[in-house]
Amino acid sequence: MPALTKDMVPGLVATGGSCRAQAEVPAKFAQGDRIVVRNINPTRHTRLPRYVRGKHGVVEHDHGVFVFPDTSAHGQGQKPQHVYSVKFAAQELWGAGAPSRDHLYLDLWDDYMDRA
Amino acid sequence: MNGIHDLGGMHGMGPIRPEANEPVFHEDWERRVFGVMIATFAGGQFNVDQFRHAIERMDPAHYLESSYYEHWLTAVETLLVENGALTRAELEARRAELAKEAA
Repeated sequence: MPALTKDMVPGLVATGGSCRAQAEVPAKFAQGDRIVVRNINPTRHTRLPRYVRGKHGVVEHDHGVFVFPDTSAHGQGQKPQHVYSVKFAAQELWGAGAPSRDHLYLDLWDDYMDRA
Repeated sequence: MNGIHDLGGMHGMGPIRPEANEPVFHEDWERRVFGVMIATFAGGQFNVDQFRHAIERMDPAHYLESSYYEHWLTAVETLLVENGALTRAELEARRAELAKEAA
């Protein structure tokens, strides 16, 4: 186990310990793809908020490959995969009462989504 | 998990009021908790996802009543006890010692 040394601190604080993975993994989605978020309700760790489950959105940007938190939090490996910025209409998330021009962007992993 | 941490879309939490010239730490103990977290994290005691999940697993009432760095402290304690680096009894003994010193 590496102990923390003083010279490691600035880099660690600056990057927050990036979770970007070096693995070459094919992307499941491309910019412009219409997706639907999986309605999953794991009792363990996930970074998929409840309010977006089952909702439709559009892939806006591919951030690259990152560690998958849902497995990493439980000692089940990195399962590296692409993370995308996905655009959702406010009305898709909050209904007709939400402002029609508002949108929300969420960073989502491959395993959270299916093609719509 | 569908826990208390997943607050997106909930009402009644009050307004968000950004503080002007917000200090990095509001209390000196927060600085120490930051250091303890970074040291144990970099020392390989846990990864960031385990850390986040330990915060999510807090008692929901405690989660809502406690500050950001108390979340951090609670998570580090949980993980160090779970991986055997510390025992709950050792933590409580140290707490009692500090309380005595402060009295």
